[in-house]
Amino acid sequence: MTKHLLRTTAAAVVLAAGAGAASAESVTISVWAGGSGPNDNYRVDAIEMAADILEREAAIRGEELDITVEKKTDNTWDDFKQAVTLAAEAGNAPHILVTGHEDIAPWAQSGLIVPVEDYLNLDAWPINDIYENLMEISSYGGIVYGLPQDAESRPFFFWKEHMKAIGYSDADLDALAEKVEAGEYTLANVLEDAKKMVEQGVVEEGYGFYPRQSNGPDFWQFYTSFGGVMEEDGKLVFDKDAMQRFYQFFVDAVEAGVTRKNHIGTPGDQWYAEVANGKAGLWHGGTWHYARYVNQEGLEDFFGTIAFTLIPAGDGGRPNTLTHPLVYLLTEQDNEDEVAVAAELIKIASEPRINTLHAIKSAHLGIAHQQSNIDLYANDRWAREATERLLPHANAMPNNADFGVYWNAMWSGLEAAWTGQKTPEQAVADVEAELKNSLGEAIVIR
Amino acid sequence: MNASRDIARDGSAPLKARAVPARRSFGWLNSSKGLGIVLLTPALMLVVLFFLAPVVLTAVFAFTNMSTATGITGGAYQVSPGTLRVLTDRYGMRELAARLGQPTYIVDEEGLAALEEMGIDPGIIAGLRDEHLGETYSSRREFEREIRDLPDRPSTRTVKQISAEFSRSLANARFGNAGALVAAAEAIDPDLGDAEKEALLDATYTGWTWTTDNFRRLASSPQTTRVLLNTVFFVALTLTLFNTGFAMVLAITTHYIPERPAGIFRIIWFLPRISPAVIYVLLWKWLAWDTGFISAFLDNFGVRPRNWMLGSATNAWVFVILINGFVGASMGMVIFASAIKAIPQSLFHAASVDGAYRWQQVRHIILPHLKWPILFVTCYQTLSLLTAIDHILLSTDGGPGGSTEVWSLWVYHTALNNYAGNLQYGYGAAMALVLVVIGVVLSLIYLRLFNYSALIVKPRIEH
Repeated sequence: MTKHLLRTTAAAVVLAAGAGAASAESVTISVWAGGSGPNDNYRVDAIEMAADILEREAAIRGEELDITVEKKTDNTWDDFKQAVTLAAEAGNAPHILVTGHEDIAPWAQSGLIVPVEDYLNLDAWPINDIYENLMEISSYGGIVYGLPQDAESRPFFFWKEHMKAIGYSDADLDALAEKVEAGEYTLANVLEDAKKMVEQGVVEEGYGFYPRQSNGPDFWQFYTSFGGVMEEDGKLVFDKDAMQRFYQFFVDAVEAGVTRKNHIGTPGDQWYAEVANGKAGLWHGGTWHYARYVNQEGLEDFFGTIAFTLIPAGDGGRPNTLTHPLVYLLTEQDNEDEVAVAAELIKIASEPRINTLHAIKSAHLGIAHQQSNIDLYANDRWAREATERLLPHANAMPNNADFGVYWNAMWSGLEAAWTGQKTPEQAVADVEAELKNSLGEAIVIR
Repeated sequence: MNASRDIARDGSAPLKARAVPARRSFGWLNSSKGLGIVLLTPALMLVVLFFLAPVVLTAVFAFTNMSTATGITGGAYQVSPGTLRVLTDRYGMRELAARLGQPTYIVDEEGLAALEEMGIDPGIIAGLRDEHLGETYSSRREFEREIRDLPDRPSTRTVKQISAEFSRSLANARFGNAGALVAAAEAIDPDLGDAEKEALLDATYTGWTWTTDNFRRLASSPQTTRVLLNTVFFVALTLTLFNTGFAMVLAITTHYIPERPAGIFRIIWFLPRISPAVIYVLLWKWLAWDTGFISAFLDNFGVRPRNWMLGSATNAWVFVILINGFVGASMGMVIFASAIKAIPQSLFHAASVDGAYRWQQVRHIILPHLKWPILFVTCYQTLSLLTAIDHILLSTDGGPGGSTEVWSLWVYHTALNNYAGNLQYGYGAAMALVLVVIGVVLSLIYLRLFNYSALIVKPRIEH
């Protein structure tokens, strides 16, 4: 019996030692991506591809490195961010996060994420080829916290057939993008045209202007269209007049019968199916909508059926679009070596060729100069035109830890005005009270 | 084995000698009070762990400004452009901010010595000394480029280690504790005054602090009254219409129909309670969406399809109350039905003989007998409706325009839901604490109403 015990113990010790030795070269890196649907698989798959390359690089140096990548994607944003923050509080944050750049500020302050510049040579390929403005958006307080994962912009869409039905010619539609950019076609025209469509029975009531049906960064574009500024010199700015004009626009749309009063909360799938099948006249979305319309909703001739422009200017503002780049972030971990491996992985995943797979499959825009020299990217009409027409005019939301509070207040004000619970004046007054109350000196109210 | 031997020996001992020590050590187990405590211990532990501790923690969190940005485990001291602005704006210490915050890298002997101590390759140190000694850089990237250009090009990790050793400012530095920050600041500026140190610590602290600000914010927010009224409206209506009213109707009607159909009927009304919330609400959504059943049906009569659930505040309330009410009614139904069963049949027979109508039976026999069950269901359901969140979250999520936002949902939206990744735990906890206080106060009132002490009269057979 003693002999047997000895033998078992010995076996267990050998096994444990073996496992220990093996784990010395094997690393498990977990990556979580938020807001990622079926077209966005390369956000996490790119890390796996990078792991393969990194393993080969290590093998050439004579080191044995075995990387296992654990991937997880979440279709939504709210749930994803909740999961990440709670996992991090519990000490279980994944190594790599793919999330919106606006999370950098709060997560950097809390120490949830670590700067990538502490681990990577920013002058090395492919980081030195990434657009400078995207690198800035991935930074907070002058420190580079993340690497851009994709870029996009958010166009305004027109269903060509409906536009023709109210009197636009092909030439008019071709010139629309320039007219919007020049500020000649404004949000007032949007309401006018949407109204015509509804009155002439081209679209059903409430489908003239068919905005995003849920909270999202898109609505800041309308604030900008009416002259609003989100941040100035590192301080948040709440422009009451611009906010009120922006709320008023949505209230006017509802009153004119071109937008539904109960629009918010429409199921996302229904919304996509409707806009991709000509149920709506004018609407707005993002570059990635192209992939959704064509791949999932069965839209065959995108360019023949849909025209796209910047978000038109409103009173006192300018035409604009918003880019909301996602970024690869590294989380704080006990094991520094794992963070270093994760850093290498996001660097390699930013290779123009690998990133192009994501950009084209999901209809996002590229992050680096050299992508225009990759055929897959350059031959894609959507990527090319959207980059040229929209990206030069793109704003980004500020990286500011208090922006979330501001955003929540903006959204609840818009929702209240849109659904008729408050007048735009009341809604703005309440947002102002709320912001004074919650942010105090951290926001400039004017 | 030893124990049994002891017992055997005890057994043979004289009665008096045995009884005395037993009473001294375990005698209190002979009273129901003592035994009760022992038997209750596991339950008490669960109550403390899962009921008391969360409440205490909520109360603690409520007096902090915790958020994702501050973390909950404590903070660090980070010198960022934002904190330098606070130093300038709030404390008027523009000069200090400039002195500490401007990124500066100086290649000096002190740094080189530190590198030697770290065991950095002597070739690299020699290269730095020969080519860059005495030079100053105002950007980390620029300095790191120079390091990489050395004849012995170090790895990226080493480059980072080297640049950190030559940093002579606090720009973008993060310190684990106050001492480290003060030491680093003093290394740069030995004449730092106490006020300056304090301001620096205050401005750079990233963690949470104690505050009563959450309650001030709550008291002055225009949303508070609105959400409070929504909550009262929701609880009152659901409670009276469904959880007691409709439950009573179900209990009485099933009392007067034969046993078997009554059982089937009750099971049907139990379905909302036992089906998973997500599926149950999804069915309601299918009913109400503009592509759903109601719209499709009414389309035949020329009514335009629309989202019936989110169509207006009134619609949303109707659905929220129906959804919650159908779930809540089943509990009242079961309790009332069994209470009616407990009424002696002879009363009903006597009433029938006297020629009482059904309504008179209900009015004069059933309702008076159901006084306590009604009170109990009312109390219990008020408290559970106050914290009801799942069905509203899944159906309207507080919409349209916040018109069905109730207190508990507001807590959730604040503490656990933020599009920009900054959850406000502290503020949310303060809101939750208000709910806890309301709950406790209501419970006390209900206990008074129940005349709780009368219900727990001491057993008379106890010694």
